[in-house]
Amino acid sequence: MNSEHIQLPNKDKIVLAILGIIGLLSLIYIASNDDLGHTRLWTNILHNSVFFTLIALMAIFFICISVTAYAGWNVVFRRVWDGMSHFLLVGLVLMGIIAMGVYFGWHNLYHWADAKTAATDPIIKGKSGFLNKHFYTIAGLGFIALWFFFAKKMRDLSVAEDDHGSNQFGNNPWKHYKSMKFYAALFLPIAGFTSAAAIWLWIMSVDPHWYSTMFAWYSSASCFVSMIALTILLLIYLKSRGYYHAVTSEHFHDLGKFMFAFSVFWTYLWFDQYMLIWYGNIGEETVYFQTRIKEYPVLFYGNLVINFVLPFLILMRNDNKRKYGTLILVGILVFVGHWIDLFQMIKPGTLHTAMELGDHASSAAHGVAGHAAEHAADAHGAADAHSAHSTGFKVGFTIPGIPEFGVMLGFLSLFIATTLHFLSKAALTPKHDPFLKESLHHHV
Amino acid sequence: MRKYNVDVVYGLYDDEEKLLHAIRKAKNNHLEIFDVYTPFPVHGMDQALGLSESRLHIAGFVYGALGTLTGFLGMTWIFTRDWPIIFGGKPYWSVPAFIPITFEMTVLFAAWGMTITFYTICGLWPGVENPQVDLRTTDDKFCLAFDTNEVSVSDAKSFFSDSGAEEVNTKSI
Repeated sequence: MNSEHIQLPNKDKIVLAILGIIGLLSLIYIASNDDLGHTRLWTNILHNSVFFTLIALMAIFFICISVTAYAGWNVVFRRVWDGMSHFLLVGLVLMGIIAMGVYFGWHNLYHWADAKTAATDPIIKGKSGFLNKHFYTIAGLGFIALWFFFAKKMRDLSVAEDDHGSNQFGNNPWKHYKSMKFYAALFLPIAGFTSAAAIWLWIMSVDPHWYSTMFAWYSSASCFVSMIALTILLLIYLKSRGYYHAVTSEHFHDLGKFMFAFSVFWTYLWFDQYMLIWYGNIGEETVYFQTRIKEYPVLFYGNLVINFVLPFLILMRNDNKRKYGTLILVGILVFVGHWIDLFQMIKPGTLHTAMELGDHASSAAHGVAGHAAEHAADAHGAADAHSAHSTGFKVGFTIPGIPEFGVMLGFLSLFIATTLHFLSKAALTPKHDPFLKESLHHHV
Repeated sequence: MRKYNVDVVYGLYDDEEKLLHAIRKAKNNHLEIFDVYTPFPVHGMDQALGLSESRLHIAGFVYGALGTLTGFLGMTWIFTRDWPIIFGGKPYWSVPAFIPITFEMTVLFAAWGMTITFYTICGLWPGVENPQVDLRTTDDKFCLAFDTNEVSVSDAKSFFSDSGAEEVNTKSI
């Protein structure tokens, strides 16, 4: 067992820094080739901020599930999740920027944030008790702060256990575990309700006319699978650098099972949401899928192949959940797959909003390119869903372009750097967790 | 009652760790094990005995795929050829509506197929009585048995006394 503090080679830090720079350059590139409202820039920021914040939430959520359920198998690498969950601190800043944008009208991501629309549009007016800038800011940021409080509490207790706890006979090995369990059990219902509300606020409200009760579960499942995939990739990386000798193929087997199972769970929700809306055939609901099937067919169906068919068939075999090769392949596939999934959740709605607001841009208050400006086909190719109608796919709008992936890499490096930073602050493995022995001898 | 027509010499252990230890020891001494009887599944037993991975899951996949095809093609035939009915203004060939039933058929075929295959291979049909070396292995004893044709009784006895067996017996089953 290697419980030293990690010290990563400088080469890897440089790689992380380069990824971060790629992200920044991509953001600058996007900002300089954007429409007047900077729709593409802001959707990229929203997309990645939400994605990685929710992954951090899923990490602390899974720790709390494990602690509540007395699940011992993941104790040996639980500090990785502790590190991941501390990205919530960065998420707070990122979502704070977006919330400030809502407040001060820096962007037009949300149709409901437009005062004129909120006053006239009956559906948005009806939802304005929930979808308004005050609630968006206070609740959205409050939720992240609340999650971070629990993430910090769990990690602090675990670290305190390293220093003061003991699993020697005679001392009480459950002392710290008991208070961890209290906070974990408290967090689960809180996370259940607040994550749904946060997803409504951040993601679903880009389509403010739309109704779906499955949506919060569906995006949570997306982020959960991505969290597991990222954990597998990070653990394999850390093992390749000589840490976590005690993490064996048995642990990877269980992580692989989670990736497999939650890919299927995600598909269940993806399909259920579609089928209920298809069957109900109510105009307000079907418009969501109409847009996606007609204008985003590659993403819409490709989504299902990357996130369901491939992981399902590849991870079905026992061996494939234990081998690094297949785990890395599927891990990258589903991570990118769910990132793309989130892309097609957010993009059509924000483009529609930009277009709608652009329609009455004569007021110029919103600074979004008007239709007239767009049809003038200026060099910047100010783009919205309308140009997609005529030109087919439009990179950055109906399919993610290279800059989009660049931004994702930038955020990923930020996420990994945060994780590794907090990972390096404490021992890699909780020293006195009562389930440590069980985890070390884990056998599937 | 089924019969193996084999004379076995067997030792009883009171703990699964002792049994696992004895199995590894027998493997090292190149003594061919006839069979092992335990009251419950023991972790690490497959590896200790060197059993190859079960192929039941391959059969399961085939049954599942068969169920998928049966469900999907069956519904397709029924609703487009045999008895087309319009439900809620949807087309005859409404794929999303077929998915839940296709899923159910996959699970049904895989579950039944694997159960029947497993029972057939293990001879576990109702009314079948499989030979037991010692009935106490269904309670709290762990048994390791050698075929007397492969391992002589005296070799076996010295092995059992070395590996901490509580009791050594012979029996023909």
